[in-house]
Amino acid sequence: MLFLPRFDYEEPRTLPEALDILSDLRSDTKVIAGGTDLIVNMKKGSVDPARIVSLKRLKGIRGITRKKEIVAIGSYTTAADIARSDVIARSFPVLRKAALSLGSPLIRNRATIGGNIATARPAADLPPALIALGARIKLRTKGTNRTVIPDVFFIGPGRSILGKDEIITEISLSTLPPFTGADYIKLGHRAALEIAIVAVASRITLDSPDGVIRDARIVLSAVAPTAVRALSAEGALLGEYPSDELFAKAASLAMNDCSPVSDIRGGADYRRDMVRALTIRTLANAYREACGQGVGL
Amino acid sequence: MKKTYHTVNSRVPRVDARAKATGEARYAADLAMPGMLYGALLQSSLPHARILNIDVSRAKMLSGVKDIVTAKEAGTVKYGVSPARYDETVFCADRVRYVGDEIAAVAARDPETAQEAASLIRVEYEPLPALLDIDSAMSDGAVLIHDDFPGNIGAEVHQEFGDVEEAFKGCDIVRTDRFVNKRQDGGFLEPQACVAQYAEGHLTVWSSTQSVHYVQRSLSMVLGIPIGKVRVIKPYVGGGFGPKAAVNTIELAASLMSMRTGRPVKMVFSREQVFMHSRARHQFVHELTTGVKKDGTIVALKNTCHLDGGAYSSFGIATIYYAGSLLGAPYKLANMKYDGYRIYTNKPACGAQRGHGGVAARAAFEQQLDIIAHELGMDPVEFRLKNIMKTGDVTCNDFNMSSLGMKECLDAVRDGSGWTEKKGKLPKGKGIGVACGFFVSGAGYPIYRSETFHSTATIRLSEDGGGANLYTAAAEIGQGSDTILSQIAAEALGVAFGDVKIYSGDTDFGIDLGAYSSRQTLMSGHAVKAAAEDVKRQVLEVLSDELNVPRDDMDIENGIVIFATGRPDFSAVRSAYAKEHRGWVQSSLPEGLTFKEAARLAFLKRGVIVGNGAYKPGELGGKYKGAAVGTSPAYGCSAQVVEVSVDMGTGRVTVDSMTDAHDCGFAINRTNVEGQMQGSLSMGLGEALFEEVKFDGGGRVINASLGEYRIPTSLDMPNVRTIIIESNEPNGPFGAKEVGEGAIMPTIPAILNAIYDATGVRMNELPVTSERLYTAIKNKVK
Repeated sequence: MLFLPRFDYEEPRTLPEALDILSDLRSDTKVIAGGTDLIVNMKKGSVDPARIVSLKRLKGIRGITRKKEIVAIGSYTTAADIARSDVIARSFPVLRKAALSLGSPLIRNRATIGGNIATARPAADLPPALIALGARIKLRTKGTNRTVIPDVFFIGPGRSILGKDEIITEISLSTLPPFTGADYIKLGHRAALEIAIVAVASRITLDSPDGVIRDARIVLSAVAPTAVRALSAEGALLGEYPSDELFAKAASLAMNDCSPVSDIRGGADYRRDMVRALTIRTLANAYREACGQGVGL
Repeated sequence: MKKTYHTVNSRVPRVDARAKATGEARYAADLAMPGMLYGALLQSSLPHARILNIDVSRAKMLSGVKDIVTAKEAGTVKYGVSPARYDETVFCADRVRYVGDEIAAVAARDPETAQEAASLIRVEYEPLPALLDIDSAMSDGAVLIHDDFPGNIGAEVHQEFGDVEEAFKGCDIVRTDRFVNKRQDGGFLEPQACVAQYAEGHLTVWSSTQSVHYVQRSLSMVLGIPIGKVRVIKPYVGGGFGPKAAVNTIELAASLMSMRTGRPVKMVFSREQVFMHSRARHQFVHELTTGVKKDGTIVALKNTCHLDGGAYSSFGIATIYYAGSLLGAPYKLANMKYDGYRIYTNKPACGAQRGHGGVAARAAFEQQLDIIAHELGMDPVEFRLKNIMKTGDVTCNDFNMSSLGMKECLDAVRDGSGWTEKKGKLPKGKGIGVACGFFVSGAGYPIYRSETFHSTATIRLSEDGGGANLYTAAAEIGQGSDTILSQIAAEALGVAFGDVKIYSGDTDFGIDLGAYSSRQTLMSGHAVKAAAEDVKRQVLEVLSDELNVPRDDMDIENGIVIFATGRPDFSAVRSAYAKEHRGWVQSSLPEGLTFKEAARLAFLKRGVIVGNGAYKPGELGGKYKGAAVGTSPAYGCSAQVVEVSVDMGTGRVTVDSMTDAHDCGFAINRTNVEGQMQGSLSMGLGEALFEEVKFDGGGRVINASLGEYRIPTSLDMPNVRTIIIESNEPNGPFGAKEVGEGAIMPTIPAILNAIYDATGVRMNELPVTSERLYTAIKNKVK
């Protein structure tokens, strides 16, 4: 049997209380928000915090709310909450798809969006969609507030800019411009309970249904230390009329916008080829969505 | 003369359904006792090394530690699965042979202390070269993993039936293909666990096992306690699939520490330890050469196989035989040659897993037959139909197909899947494939040479006849044997299903070799049926005296005594019964004489009515060396058609549908037969597409979790069309034979043949991961 090591456990009721606890900047502290990653790693012995601060009982950080053009997702909102939200399904279906590809129904009931971001795993399911959608992450300490974009949040596997005294409180998304479409495809071995071999999220915005591409984002996952934007591929799309040839060209460029390694889930060469395959598909699906109704409001 | 049955051939719910659905069912890891200690193992961190010194002094000083045992305390009695290859000791005395090899055990007041103490034991090693695959283990000058086995060949088998080389000369097509699967894990949900309690000379062990009998014998032999003073009890078990069919180290270590401390000791494997203990499917490297004539007649097969055995023999001495012998059917094949080599390597020992020894061979052979059918321009179903055996045929290696619904299975899956409309007409990326297979219905011989009965059963009637208690050592491990045996008892005795209460999985209840080789329904079923008939005979004997009706003119059916010639006057029996139950609220008795009334009478005349049954197979075929592995009283067979979609851009395979027909002789419980078929297909799908135990260069399993070792999820399994074929096996109880393992045989090759149909690519290496298939497609296009 695997056992949890000993640790102190704090369960603050309010955000100020939680931030107050963290303000002592103890480096042996871990924040828990779902625990689908942390508890497993503690049992395996790969992390050994002396203190755990749980966000479970905090008021006001779970749920999805909409104010005009902004949709705010509390950081303790679970993947299951996101997957069953009408607001998300209508306005950001790509995020719903990403949430539904995370783990299994049981894991989705526990895993939170804040946790999925804070653990900074290179193959995490929600960050690629959030980057593609231009999400903003709100961070708070006892005395400060800041908002960052996920593109700069991640530093490397398990590493981010999140301070020891800092908590992710909210992820916000602005509704998308007209003629925008997006898609997320995750390639795993099984149909569920998978960590991606490769995943790609793409989003494009057209000038008009038969116009040029005005904005594009392609996010590659599990092929670099963090989810990365395929910048040269994005650049090749801007100002161009969408076509299969264009998407194939962008996808080929995307292969060099990443640095896959060979590991237990797949080889580097295969991953590079899959970056191309999934980039083409996500772009094609995004385009189809963009020149159709687009996403609802 | 189709008989009407009341309980068998039905869909009665499982007797353990409620306990399992509510969580009431208690498994070995749920058990606790007053004063119980918790054990932990110290296992080798090196794949191959000499042990120079073991220092337990720091561990001993830890507060709460009650016992520490090493080879010094446990002794070095050699044990294993087959007496022909006893090559294990409880703990390693001077050498470790794989990462995970057991060196010491600790018993302490709680599991955390036990684990901490184990980690404080210092072992001084002198590393030896690690031989992590077949090639390095067989290379010139390789260090010997076991000194008595040159070349690290732990076992080899050479058999020839007919004359293969001569037969090839008359063939129009002779082709050779190589095939390799990967080491599997059993993937059962419940890791092994046990509690051992030694008191006043008696040892009782509750364990998650497939065979209380084999565990009892091994404990007795290794620990030196008479068999009669060792009792092994199997609580509810969460799956076994083979790896739990023999004694394990925690059963031995917990027993030893209980003997030394006088307190119960509990030990539980972590999931990682399940992978390190292994005893699951080997990696097989098959080279098959098959010869056929232009008209499609299969003439000869040459099979060479190397098995990566791991560090010890476990069930491997049987596995190596099965890897050859299970290709003798279901096709008429006059010439077959087999050369098998099981190689010791510095990895966890492999053993038995569902479809023991035959699964990779079957996958290789059925894919090769598909290739040959295409070369001949024959439809793969027609090609198989042309060659299949039928009831009464005997294979070249002397397996008697006393019943064989192979044609019925093939016809059923062809028609049930729409094969004829689909084969050759599906678009690129969609494919359909077919395969066949067969399997033993119980090993013909125990794993140790013995004249023992394979199964015994006892039925004791309650004094009012209202209940029949069935006692058996058969192992319900989730496959449903408790339900099946209860049904057989009820039917044979002639009472309602609900009147039978089963007590199983306990060496105090009799002898049963356990749940492996698909033997419980046929073998334990025979014993139970005989016990029920014994009880019935005794009741009818008393009734015969009382009513003056010849015993053979009476029977019991559905709780009522049946008279062959007219109903005698039984009013005296009835009124005596009524007098004994004055004041009881009785539902009105039916017109006929009830079993209860007759059974009550029998008790009053004779005391407790107890019936016994015992079974062992009759004379089986084969006088050649190795004939004991593969000969069986009966053989189940099956055919499957699988449809797949292949994503040509990623190589990812989705199994869209599976149609499976299995000849189980006679379905005691139709729902359970279907469950076994579905479970087999799921396991086969996992082995075909996902499953592979992986090692790093230091011999350590790197995916020892169900996160990175991928068994199929429910979303990976399509709905299965299950078709039950009943060929009425003369050697089976009510005509029943196996379904638990044979159903996996066609799954992998049917998937492989469907992948070929979809892509034009033949995959000779498992698992067919998306990467492997994508690469193969890409290379073919080049």
